[in-house]
Amino acid sequence: MLTINNLHARVEDTPILKGLNLEIGPGEVHAIMGPNGSGKSTLASVLAGREDYEVTAGSVDFDGTDLLELDASDRAREGLFLAFQYPVEIPGVSNLNFMKAAVNAKREHQGLEPIAAKDFLAMVKEKAALVELDGRLRDRSVNEGFSGGEKKRNEIFQMAMLEPKLAVLDETDSGLDIDALRIVSEGVNAMRNAGRSFLVITHYQRLLDHIVPDFVHVLSDGQIVKSGPKELALELEAKGYDWIKEPVA
Amino acid sequence: MATAQDQAQAFVAGLAASSGSASLAEAGRQALADLPVPTRKSERWKYSPLTPMLVNPVRTAPAPAGWPEDVPTNPIPGLDAYRIVLLNGQVVPEACDLPVADGVVCMSLSQAYSEGRIGEGDEDWSAYHTREWVGAVHAAYAQDGLFLSLENGVVLDRPVLVHHHATGENVASCPRHRVEVGANAHAEVVLWSSAPEGASGMVNAVLEAKVGAGARLGVDKIQHEQGAVFQLAHEHVTQDKDSTFRIHTVTVQGHWVRNELNVLQHGSGSHTVMHGAYLPKGQEHVDNHTTMDHTVPHCTSSELYKGIWYDRSTGVFNGKVFVREDAQQTNAYQQNANIVADAGASINAKPELEIYADDVKCSHGCTVGQFDEEALFYLKSRGIAERAARALMVQAFIGDVLEGFGQVEVAQEVEGLLAQRHGWM
Amino acid sequence: MAYDGEDKILEEVTGKAYEFGFTTDIDSDKAPAGLNEDIIRLISAKKNEPGWLLEWRLKAFETWQAMVEPEWPHLQYEKPDFQAISYYAAPKQKKELASLDEVDPELRKTMDKLGISLEEQKRLSGVAVDFVMDSVSVATSFKDKLAELGIIFCSMSEAVQEHPELVQKYLGSVVPVRDNFYAALNSAVFTDGSFCYIPKGVKCPMELSTYFRINESGTGQFERTLVIADESSYVSYLEGCTAPQRDENQLHAAVVELIALDAAEIKYSTVQNWYPGDEKGKGGVFNFVTKRGICHTRSKISWTQVETGSAVTWKYPSCVLKGDDSVGEFYSVAVTNNMQQADTGTKMIHLGKRTRSTIISKGISAGKSQNSYRGLVQIMPNADHARNFSQCDSLLMTDRCGAHTFPYIETKNPTAQVEHEATTSKIGEDQIFYCLQRGIDEEQAISLIVNGYAKEVLNKLPMEFAVEAQKLLAISLEGSVG
Repeated sequence: MLTINNLHARVEDTPILKGLNLEIGPGEVHAIMGPNGSGKSTLASVLAGREDYEVTAGSVDFDGTDLLELDASDRAREGLFLAFQYPVEIPGVSNLNFMKAAVNAKREHQGLEPIAAKDFLAMVKEKAALVELDGRLRDRSVNEGFSGGEKKRNEIFQMAMLEPKLAVLDETDSGLDIDALRIVSEGVNAMRNAGRSFLVITHYQRLLDHIVPDFVHVLSDGQIVKSGPKELALELEAKGYDWIKEPVA
Repeated sequence: MATAQDQAQAFVAGLAASSGSASLAEAGRQALADLPVPTRKSERWKYSPLTPMLVNPVRTAPAPAGWPEDVPTNPIPGLDAYRIVLLNGQVVPEACDLPVADGVVCMSLSQAYSEGRIGEGDEDWSAYHTREWVGAVHAAYAQDGLFLSLENGVVLDRPVLVHHHATGENVASCPRHRVEVGANAHAEVVLWSSAPEGASGMVNAVLEAKVGAGARLGVDKIQHEQGAVFQLAHEHVTQDKDSTFRIHTVTVQGHWVRNELNVLQHGSGSHTVMHGAYLPKGQEHVDNHTTMDHTVPHCTSSELYKGIWYDRSTGVFNGKVFVREDAQQTNAYQQNANIVADAGASINAKPELEIYADDVKCSHGCTVGQFDEEALFYLKSRGIAERAARALMVQAFIGDVLEGFGQVEVAQEVEGLLAQRHGWM
Repeated sequence: MAYDGEDKILEEVTGKAYEFGFTTDIDSDKAPAGLNEDIIRLISAKKNEPGWLLEWRLKAFETWQAMVEPEWPHLQYEKPDFQAISYYAAPKQKKELASLDEVDPELRKTMDKLGISLEEQKRLSGVAVDFVMDSVSVATSFKDKLAELGIIFCSMSEAVQEHPELVQKYLGSVVPVRDNFYAALNSAVFTDGSFCYIPKGVKCPMELSTYFRINESGTGQFERTLVIADESSYVSYLEGCTAPQRDENQLHAAVVELIALDAAEIKYSTVQNWYPGDEKGKGGVFNFVTKRGICHTRSKISWTQVETGSAVTWKYPSCVLKGDDSVGEFYSVAVTNNMQQADTGTKMIHLGKRTRSTIISKGISAGKSQNSYRGLVQIMPNADHARNFSQCDSLLMTDRCGAHTFPYIETKNPTAQVEHEATTSKIGEDQIFYCLQRGIDEEQAISLIVNGYAKEVLNKLPMEFAVEAQKLLAISLEGSVG
């Protein structure tokens, strides 16, 4: 599904990713953990196509397509979804209108007609239930006046509406209480299937109790320095990040 | 019937030539003929036409024979400050107490001229006389004032009090002050203007200031004039990078006051705070015009003016904020709140924004209203008498404006004077 | 949010326009250029006006000659040469037709290109249309239906003939001749416009609309509109303007007077898309309009407008809140792009007690344009317990445009409450990226965000106008990202 090869990226003149390699197969859930400053959010931004970040070397293949060649909205239409760490507010633009525009953009890309109103509303109802996003929130402007937890749930709702091939969750668990964490995780788990992969970026192991990964990778100073099965996360929890920083080949 | 221009000519005809720069005075006299007299027809003066002032021609006061005995040179109890005092625009040297320290030049403007401290072509920073008739009058008849210059890094240990006292009937004074704060230096100034009952005429004061890179200048400006004086006070301040300029303007009492505050930031990273309060009574008129000019990026400004209008007072708040094309990342905030306490008061507010850059955060708000009757009732229901309750609410209302005074003694004195004037005791 | 391909502003309208209801070619009957007493007499004679109206025009002309064209510090434009304009152009009338079906297909094609398909409107929304072209009203349908209710909706010319007592009573009662330079000019040379009268207690069942179109080059347009809502009546009035692409500037100096008698309500909506001039600011329409309404006791007037055109706009729809408990509202979205300049706003004059006014102004500046809001809230001494709330926001799309706010607040009553807020912002890069990441491309993202920003105002428009307005916002901001 996704093959990242020797990815180097910098912001302004500071290199952040320094030769990152990663392979994600279809249906797999990969977790990326690492200390602050290791490049976790940079990885998410670079994959999504944020222009502030410059790729200086390497390649990213997304299901046969050269991802780096596409601009941000085309990557999204190809099936890449980013759940933001700090979702922005867009006053005056209702959640529903926003989703309708996004859904139709994807359909247009696939050569389909815009979605019929009836079908759209049915879809909204179904997906909103996954994250317990009630009508009140749906009718509001995008993220306006939403609590932290509501914003994260809104991200997962949007992911459910857009049905991506690859979903990148950027520290989705940050700022969530136990209940919000549970709801968000259940929403993600409900979306797991053989054709959909997840890249879960997190600082804490806690989320991975709920969204159980197939693989865990540790990012340190712009590179993946260690990979392993889900137990690796527990080991990290116990030993801390310094343990990893010792011998890096 | 005389035209405004004729009246204006007669108004200044009896004034003595400027004791300051001759070239500036000449430029002022020329401009007097060309610039329109501020009447209702002038956009900038339509709410504060000067026609009532022009009715009685004015004269220059004779040289002072000492400071009046019944007037304290320092009207602020407990304030330990250097001081320069002026009577009708002229310094009274024996009543001054000027600092002597390395890197500090603090003297009268006339002495600064005679010591050659103001070079040719450097007599004027604001070009006020080229734009406004009032500025031309000032330039043509400018008198004495404060000259303060701090070298780089110098921190003045005490504030400088500039006390102007206007006396006599139909007297015109044009005090002129110049302050220059070097890089990373710091000065605090208190401008206090007073006048006794029976005084009348015009006080036309100009303060020009330059705040250097990383420097700080704070000004507490208090107007406490009895009598029937028309006070026109103009401040022109420019700020270099990373500097801070703060000014608190409080009109405690004044028959007719027009404050024009102009601040221009030409260096990034600078910050400006402008606070003002006014509580006119009777038929007093208070006009506050402010201009905040952001010309470079990454600067901030915060403006808060509050007023309570009693009896049949009238007035204006006109706050202009300019954000020029290159002033990206500007953060400018302006708030004007007015309470109309009695029928017959009339106020005009014009908070203006001119924005030419897009990556900025600018907001302004302006309200006119009354005291919250609910809150008043709440206080009364807790046993507080009506009068005291109103006093509490007024104090609460202007409380945040009075915060941040450079000198706590000034704030206390101002509060005391206001309490006395408005029966809060 | 799909656009259905109508591109009114940019499409070149070819061929000559046909007066509705007539066949064959129509020549335009154009007065010689220039403005003097003779031209005014000519206009009045051609329209067969009664003596009192000619006198009124002549006095207005005298007043105009003594006035000085206003100077506005924020607008720079080449002043129109008033003597170089022809003040009257009317398509010649030939034959009468019995019904809409007999309308010339050429004419229908023209109207389709303008997006005003009368048939469509008749069928779907029941909107009566008064189609003004080249200074003379061309189409008036639904007169009969409205007549049943006693509603009069016709051209001003017709009203002068059929209802002179109403016209004489109210003309100039809200915007007196000497109110301003352009009002005086309009009073002297107005050739047509709309007239509407709603009788006591009648709620007009359909939205009344009027389209304007300037066709002939060199013709200014001077409409005069009068809407009178008698006690306890209601009317919603739509005004939409189109203009073809032209090289020289065209002058538009209209006057609109609204009278809302006791407990009446008038809703006046405008969606305007004059040709704004090209990217260099050449060509385009000069729009100087005086619009004012007077509210009697317990009545209400709402002005809603979406402005996206004109090279130069000078327009302040106002309400005089004369009667106690009356309400005035102003909702506006003003877009300027390229080199456009707009100086618009509103005046709310509170005379009566417990009067209320609301002002929501949303400015959007792009390109190198200058967008100024100028508003006046005046609380007069007898306006006890008057209330005003104003919100003036500016959205800047590029770093070379300007957005300015000049509110004037004058209060002479101690029980008034006035609240004014203004904020300035730009479209955040984060917001755009958020949309991009959801597959929405940049143009569409901007359109979404801009419409979200303007939503509060767009919601006040009657539905079919709201759709047109959204399209207009998008078209006028095309290519403005920067």
